[in-house]
Amino acid sequence: MALASDPPKRDARKRADMSDAFLVGALAMAALVLVIYYAAWPSLPPAWHAPGSPVLQSLAIIGSCLLLMPLAFAVAKRGGRAASPPRWFAAHVLASIVGVVLVAIHTAGRMGRPPFLMLVALAFLALSGALARLWLSRQMAATLGTKRSPFRGVDPDVQARLRGLIQRKIELLKALDPSAREATFSVTLAHILRSPRRALAYLRLAREESQLLGARQSVGSLQAWWRPLHIAIGYLFLAGLLTHVVVVTFFAGYVADGRQIYWWHLATW
Amino acid sequence: MSRLALMIDIERCIGCKSCEVACKAEHALGPGEYRNRVVWHGDTTAPALDFLTLACQHCERPACLRACPVNPKAIEKHPETGVVRVLEDRCTGCGECIVACPYGAMGYDAIDHHAVKCDLCTDRRSGGLKPACATVCPGFAITFGERDALVAQAREQGRSTVDHDAYLLGPSTIYLERMPKEVAPGRIANTTGLALGDRHRPIVVDDPAAKGRLYEDAPAFPYRRSREERQADQVVPGGCNICFNSCSTKFHLRNGRLVRVTGNEEDPLFAGRVCPKSQLTLQLYGSEHRLTHPLKRVGRRGEGRFEQISWAQALDEIAEKLEGVRAKYGSEALAIYAGTRTGTLTRKGYIPLFADMWGTPNVSDTEPFCSESKNLAFKLTQGRIGSGNSYTETDIGTAELYVYFGDNQAETRPVHFGMVNDWRLKRGGRMIAIDPRLTVTASKADLWLPIRTGTDLALALAMIHHIFDRDLHDERFCTNWILGWEKWRDFVRERGYSPEWAAAITDIDAETIRSVAEEIARADGCVLFASRGINQHSNATQTNRTLMFLAAMTGNWGRKGGTFFNMSTPPAIEVKTPPGRAAKTSRPAVRRNAVGWTDAMRDGKPYPIKALITCNNPMAQWPDQRAIREATSALDLLVHIELFQNETSAFADYVLPAATGIEKGEIGRGTEDRRVVWIDRIIDPPGEAKPDGWIWIELGKRFGFDDVLKEKYKDPTVFWDEMCINHPEMRGCTQKRLHSVPWRWVRAPVASEDAAEQETLYLEGTTAAGQPEGHRFPTKSGKLEFWTADLEEKFRTVGLSALPEFYTDREQLIDLPYCERQGDDSIEGFVSPFFMGTPTSSVPAIIVTPDGTSPSRLLRAQGFDTELVTGRPPAPHFHSWMHYAWQAQEMWPDLYVQVHPDKAARHGIADGQRVVIETAHGKIEARAWLHAGIRPDAIFIPIGWGERQPYHPWRSVNFLTDKHQRDPASDHSNLKTYLCRIAPSGE
Repeated sequence: MALASDPPKRDARKRADMSDAFLVGALAMAALVLVIYYAAWPSLPPAWHAPGSPVLQSLAIIGSCLLLMPLAFAVAKRGGRAASPPRWFAAHVLASIVGVVLVAIHTAGRMGRPPFLMLVALAFLALSGALARLWLSRQMAATLGTKRSPFRGVDPDVQARLRGLIQRKIELLKALDPSAREATFSVTLAHILRSPRRALAYLRLAREESQLLGARQSVGSLQAWWRPLHIAIGYLFLAGLLTHVVVVTFFAGYVADGRQIYWWHLATW
Repeated sequence: MSRLALMIDIERCIGCKSCEVACKAEHALGPGEYRNRVVWHGDTTAPALDFLTLACQHCERPACLRACPVNPKAIEKHPETGVVRVLEDRCTGCGECIVACPYGAMGYDAIDHHAVKCDLCTDRRSGGLKPACATVCPGFAITFGERDALVAQAREQGRSTVDHDAYLLGPSTIYLERMPKEVAPGRIANTTGLALGDRHRPIVVDDPAAKGRLYEDAPAFPYRRSREERQADQVVPGGCNICFNSCSTKFHLRNGRLVRVTGNEEDPLFAGRVCPKSQLTLQLYGSEHRLTHPLKRVGRRGEGRFEQISWAQALDEIAEKLEGVRAKYGSEALAIYAGTRTGTLTRKGYIPLFADMWGTPNVSDTEPFCSESKNLAFKLTQGRIGSGNSYTETDIGTAELYVYFGDNQAETRPVHFGMVNDWRLKRGGRMIAIDPRLTVTASKADLWLPIRTGTDLALALAMIHHIFDRDLHDERFCTNWILGWEKWRDFVRERGYSPEWAAAITDIDAETIRSVAEEIARADGCVLFASRGINQHSNATQTNRTLMFLAAMTGNWGRKGGTFFNMSTPPAIEVKTPPGRAAKTSRPAVRRNAVGWTDAMRDGKPYPIKALITCNNPMAQWPDQRAIREATSALDLLVHIELFQNETSAFADYVLPAATGIEKGEIGRGTEDRRVVWIDRIIDPPGEAKPDGWIWIELGKRFGFDDVLKEKYKDPTVFWDEMCINHPEMRGCTQKRLHSVPWRWVRAPVASEDAAEQETLYLEGTTAAGQPEGHRFPTKSGKLEFWTADLEEKFRTVGLSALPEFYTDREQLIDLPYCERQGDDSIEGFVSPFFMGTPTSSVPAIIVTPDGTSPSRLLRAQGFDTELVTGRPPAPHFHSWMHYAWQAQEMWPDLYVQVHPDKAARHGIADGQRVVIETAHGKIEARAWLHAGIRPDAIFIPIGWGERQPYHPWRSVNFLTDKHQRDPASDHSNLKTYLCRIAPSGE
């Protein structure tokens, strides 16, 4: 049977990827830099002991910019214009690793203050990301053939609810994206920007369907939840970063709490 | 165009995983990486076994695609074909699709971090080919095509399809339900289709926890290589050299390097279907574990320390030591052991020539562990080994009934079983399996009879009794073509071998025995299959003969669709040592069975064997491993010719690296239906490994044998044409003829190069090859021989009668007559009348009626309360070979023991738990597989594992077996019936 209508397949071996060895090496390098830094820290000049000093603040600015790369990755991935999402993925990992190092240096060993929570979030993000890549990959590979629920018989109640959901999705789609087919449609960034209310409503229906399919229950908790958690903590971190930047830039007086404001700022409220 | 789909017939799927192997080979997937899987489902409450072949369902509403967060998607669905596939260069590897797919059909590449999935082999389809899985499936279980056409086809065949669209995703894959079964009361209810419910997935199958070791090594070339690197520039037809199916294969090469092994779609019989083993030979040829240089032991025996030496040094030193042994003990002190791995040309060609010229009768092979009993039974009854029938639709495909006695064909010869199952499903034939456990074969049968191990003789006797009782035998055939059948009828009646008598022995009720007997007698064509489950007992020759009698007296002999099969039918290779070149020997062979050499090796009795050249692995394969280790340690010289380091190598003085299959050129193993399969030499062996023939010729030169074992015979094609096809049946089986067909096999007998092949031998009105006119069968009388005075005399010398009387193995859970040999292997004994050619010693036996001091009673009193059954593991394994193929190890990693859940509960054993199994002969450990499809008082342990295997080493099951328990006629070892006890391991 000649079925040449499928376009030729691209070879995955030529695909951009960050190998496990490279990732481990990059993480080890980052850890080594931090260990060396903290070992040398007591003997470093005073500027390296003050997070707001020009040198450490510069590092923080660079680090924060790098830590915006994951956001850029998320936008590029969903925005429809990324030629190579795996390259964006690699960029988000590399930029994050460097960013974490720079931000960690910026803290100058000041633990116990609210911004330190951001460092904790960064540690979680690095850990969850590395865990997924290095360990969960094997679990993901081993998932094939481990689910049985569709072969356990059909539940008419679940099917009735699914039918209703699908119908609602079809109706909603007529307004959200009339050219799309429900069977293969999912909400993109463009839909959210163009029609946020309908897009969110559709997302809710899609989530409901996924719950009826028992998707996240069908795999181990770690495999099911690492990514939603990774993304949520990522957004929390970004929120914290934004807050930190606003506070130290515009509310420098509040941050200084009567001490000298020695960092670059715009207002001393 | 309609959507494309796979249609998977669960009734036909035998769980062999050939499709998994084909998929990995097609897409170069490494360990832990899948696009399809065959999931085994057992049951802990009722006997059941089903297989779910799972790959992407190519849904109408693919959940995976909708879950993909990338825009545009990294998963696409083709608008016409409906094929859903991953665009790997867009995939970031987040794994959301894997979570989303409720069928669990998404795969993942854990090295390159992206989703992978079945795309129905896009690359193959664009070349006009079917997906790889559908091409190889031995069971005809996977069909590929347009969905609408497949649905129509299923409807035409009256088959029900499974509704597995639980979530309204519109899966394209079609599953055909299992077919309704007519079952005996309380026996088997295996018709649940895909409603898996709480079905049990055994932990020991595909255990992810056992995969760790596979990740440590990079998989052998060409796995995980690009398609360009694997693109063949040459394809050579040939055959698989592993098992008795001798599947037709094609070897795909690129720049002279093997890149793929597939089935041969041009073969009229196999049509591309091939079992996992043939495909997995790719991993053996490329294995980094292969022996590549001659080694000389420098440490203690068993320590495994060696130094690398040259071939010249190795062969010179071996020759010098052999001369020393000969000078001190005589030429008979050299024993040579060959078998499975060695190849037929070596076993039947090079070695016999060498041994003849050297002057030793002590040459043996694996037959006394596998087939010797049936060989003898065939020779005595029919005059020639093997069935005269063929695996063709017009021969055994026409049978109405297939009965398997101790033959798990679905796992041991999957392609042949696939044919049989397909024919019987198309024609509405019946299948019955008689086996202590619900094997894959039994799981496909209409009726499974869980017989007590070692008692098939009683069952056959009772069936025969009933058939005679009701006059259901084929009187005309019996009168015209069977010698001694009346005497046999009277004997069976006189002994009272009734169904009631057998019921208590076999654990099969009398009514069922009667019913099956009548079914066999009344069927218009019944094929009786037997195999190792019959052969590996101390009553094996008589059981085989009795089953042959059953087939013959019901007219199922010398007809299409009716026969007795017991694999295999060896080709009639007769290599003749030129007159005057055979050295004289003064003593008969110590024993036919190599395990009977151990007293001679250890104690020098009845005479010393001080040197052993073994081309196989006795340290895992021979029964009673404690004794084997003592015996081999006492040798002056142990030479091991092998592919891989194993336990025997560790004890050897010299280890010689061998070539195999397409590295050396040879014929396939003896097939069941007389096919002689030629395998060309295509690639070079690894390192300095050499073909076995080369080794024997070079060693022979050191003794001046090169006038017979000529240099030119290093070319196996020359050796074949000049030396191996002397028998009248083989004369037409020349290289020219073998190479004249693109499937490289010829079905013997062919008396000349242009003689036609015969589908069915011994048909009425024909004369057997090489026999006087009118001799339908190749016996002296031209008839099948049940009883003759000559036969009676022969059997009397070993303590038996030509009329088989019931006895069983020594160790049973109930008191039954058993066989006791009158002396061990250290006594001279007498020359057996059963082994033609080489005079061979044997010891007589008696049939003992058990009393209070019988071995069984003593063992039961010691707490040995369980029947131990051994046998072949599932299809991807064959002896120890496949333990060096990483994918076979991925599928079936650990040595397992099948235990009935009730027994497991009594002993506190959980599925997958490590347990200790102990017999009176030794102890091993294995992992438990809770399986309700086994007699409640029996356990099953597969063969093939060894202590020095690279991935999952376990002690061989032969630490539990006994070297003394052998069939007095054929010297065949009992490997199937022992009393044991099982308990959780302390570890």
